[in-house]
Amino acid sequence: MDKLSQAQSELREMDALAAEDSPVHRLHPLCKLLVTVCYIAAVVSFPKYDFTGLAVMVLYPAVLFQAAGIPVRTCFYKLRIVLPLVCAVGLVNPFLDRTPMLQLGMVTITGGVISMVTLMMKGVFSLMASFLLIATTTIDSLCAALRKLHVPSILTTLLLLTYRYIGVMLEEVTIMTEAYKLRAPGQKGIHISAWGSFLGQLLLRSMDRAQELFGSMLLRGFQGEFFYADVPPCKPSGIVYTIACAGAFLLARLVPIASVLGGLFVG
Amino acid sequence: MTMIEFRNVSFSYDSGNPVVADLSFSIGRGETVGLIGANGAGKSTIMKLLLGLVTGEGEITVDGLPMNRQNLPAIRQRIGFVLQDSDNQMFMPTVYEDMIFGPRNYGVSKEETDRRVDDVLKCLGLQELKHRYNHKISGGEKRMAAIATILAMEPEMILMDEPSTALDPVNRRTVINTVNRLPQTKLIASHDLDMILDTCQRVILLAGGAIVADGDAETILRDRELLEANRMELPFCLQGRR
Amino acid sequence: MHMADALLAPAVAATMYAATAVTVGASVKTLRKDEATAKLPAMAVTSALVFAGQMINYTIPGTGSSGHLCGGMMLSALLGPQAGFLSMVVILTIQALFFADGGLLALGANCWNMAFYGCFVGYCLLWRPIMRSKLFGKLGTKAAGRVRIILASVLGCVITLQLGAFSVVLETSVSGITELPFGAFVGIMQPIHLAIGLVEGLITSAVLVFVYEARPELLMDVNTGDAVQSKCSLKTTMIILAVVVAIVGGGLSLFASANPDGLEWSMFGNAESGYSENMGLDEENYGVSSAAAEVAGSIQEKTAFLPDYAFANSDSAAGTTVSGLVGSAIVAGIAVLVCMAGGFFRKKKAAANA
Repeated sequence: MDKLSQAQSELREMDALAAEDSPVHRLHPLCKLLVTVCYIAAVVSFPKYDFTGLAVMVLYPAVLFQAAGIPVRTCFYKLRIVLPLVCAVGLVNPFLDRTPMLQLGMVTITGGVISMVTLMMKGVFSLMASFLLIATTTIDSLCAALRKLHVPSILTTLLLLTYRYIGVMLEEVTIMTEAYKLRAPGQKGIHISAWGSFLGQLLLRSMDRAQELFGSMLLRGFQGEFFYADVPPCKPSGIVYTIACAGAFLLARLVPIASVLGGLFVG
Repeated sequence: MTMIEFRNVSFSYDSGNPVVADLSFSIGRGETVGLIGANGAGKSTIMKLLLGLVTGEGEITVDGLPMNRQNLPAIRQRIGFVLQDSDNQMFMPTVYEDMIFGPRNYGVSKEETDRRVDDVLKCLGLQELKHRYNHKISGGEKRMAAIATILAMEPEMILMDEPSTALDPVNRRTVINTVNRLPQTKLIASHDLDMILDTCQRVILLAGGAIVADGDAETILRDRELLEANRMELPFCLQGRR
Repeated sequence: MHMADALLAPAVAATMYAATAVTVGASVKTLRKDEATAKLPAMAVTSALVFAGQMINYTIPGTGSSGHLCGGMMLSALLGPQAGFLSMVVILTIQALFFADGGLLALGANCWNMAFYGCFVGYCLLWRPIMRSKLFGKLGTKAAGRVRIILASVLGCVITLQLGAFSVVLETSVSGITELPFGAFVGIMQPIHLAIGLVEGLITSAVLVFVYEARPELLMDVNTGDAVQSKCSLKTTMIILAVVVAIVGGGLSLFASANPDGLEWSMFGNAESGYSENMGLDEENYGVSSAAAEVAGSIQEKTAFLPDYAFANSDSAAGTTVSGLVGSAIVAGIAVLVCMAGGFFRKKKAAANA
């Protein structure tokens, strides 16, 4: 599958997930946004050798995936974008940092290996958290949350408008790409002779579209303001959720829970 | 009583060739008028002139208000324009948010706007669409939602640019039936002559920016010679094919 | 070159967020409200198009690979730097949220690395001065305009990508994520992005030249005539660039001489020096060694250099590690149980509904 149809199907999938209903979906978007940011900040703040401390953080996405009823596998193919870069940076660690850290039987585990694994875990965990946020929150309620945080309305409106037209534009680019491919069999991409005109044509058409779009705004009395559906106010349960999660992340960050837990068994 | 009146209206783009030349006509309140003509005959320009999106020479009055800067908001509030590409019209995230866009901008209260939205959706049988996302509804639904968006403004006149294009027969028929149920004054520009025949009592035939014929829809749309002389043909239902 | 969350320390991420937020604020203020709202549809439609357009593969002649479009330069050439910046921020946000391209925490850094350089540096220092200069012929002649567009796009993409790549290295290194020495990291990133920048610049210039031929009025600062004297002339640009190059180059050479191995360190070579460096760093922790050796008998002497900061609140680093590993295993077990329980309840619910 090529990138364009892949993007279209990913957008459709995220839309479908966000449209479902669960206790997590019903939480106030602002609470979810804050908790997600806290979680990612906590995850990336773990020291590079603190594998065991970081391991505890897996519980948040695990619980949330289940509570939201979202299959874990849906987020795994998204790893393909993030992991290569993280791996590229992390993979050199075992070669450069050879300080032995732990002996398991015959195998010596070096600091580099541990820091590499921690780095990858950080990548996966933070990806899961933002995936869970957007899979349980629609873009417009997220923008409502951002407006509550006093993000300039131009930016949130632009975000919503752009999101609205991404589908339309992907469709147009797909149609043009298909038309191109049909007349240029065997070519992997756009030939240099069409580099400018391919996207240029689309660009001109898009500018006309923008013109018409603005016309349709003006005809409906547009004076610089957008009106959105009301977002229900945050319930006490949302506040409790936010505080509880933030507290739990702080606890996990400060207390080596895994070691304490393991200590009970190992003695 | 006249709803709109054009008196000696001309318009040309920078290049000089007039798109619309010395045009005069009027449309009475409650009339449904079809605007037909070949590509480039001036249909879209007439609509743009009427909405104040372009300014030409001559006089245009809408509901007794002469077209000028001061009257523009009042005029636009009276006219609803259904665009050919509903994607350009439905730019808000949900159908509901698109429907409140017009009324709220014209200062209608929130409660009144919500009442209008529910009334319009009920009238068109689209209640199910209210909280759907604009990027996820089908082409037919989008066209109907675009009409709902305009009706929520409670306009006195509705302009439609090719309302039946790219719709399947059932959706097209739904749009036609809806148009026929609306009591407002309507001006419909289209190449779909069958639809014009089904919806309009009067037809204005344009060629080269001038009116070639203006009169009873049945009479004009049955006049094979007149239509063919102006790059048109008889509506399919009148072609008498077996 | 999207940064991932994992590559940034929270403090660095917060700094970059602050820098981006200030730029967004300034851009919003500059685009006075009415101008901004009038521009909104064009901004939205073009950013959606750039988003989709970045997925088009352009074949690079003579090679088997393909290149992509450079969004920042194109958006600011069409919309101006402030509107271009806001559009890029929105594109990057959507990429981070829906496509996991970059992360939520790294968004500030990504906006800075790609949008700020691409829009402000690329536009104010390169596009505007070059387009308003009399290079290659008089203003208003098509041929000269075409060459100026190509020059500005290619230079713009190359330079802004270099700055962006350098920032990625800087941010990662300051965050203390990689063991890779700064010099080696720079040595890898800059040449790669030089090639990418060249190709992106050519593609971007091809699109912009097309627009220039068809509808020149859509491009900013093209054919504005002599009347408008730009605040930032080509000469000033050259001076600023020269100063930047001198500072960066000087800094790099200083770094290289202070750390002679730095630039020669390849990804897989010379581990020996890395080892000794780490030993040096961990000298203070020598005292931990004996306790560690006692608790886990099989652990080699080398464990002595185990840095204890990795395992907080512990008397015995190795002991903590073993119990820590056990604890982690238990946590993993709990996570699996949670997943299984969730699946179980879902199936039950589905069965009840059926």
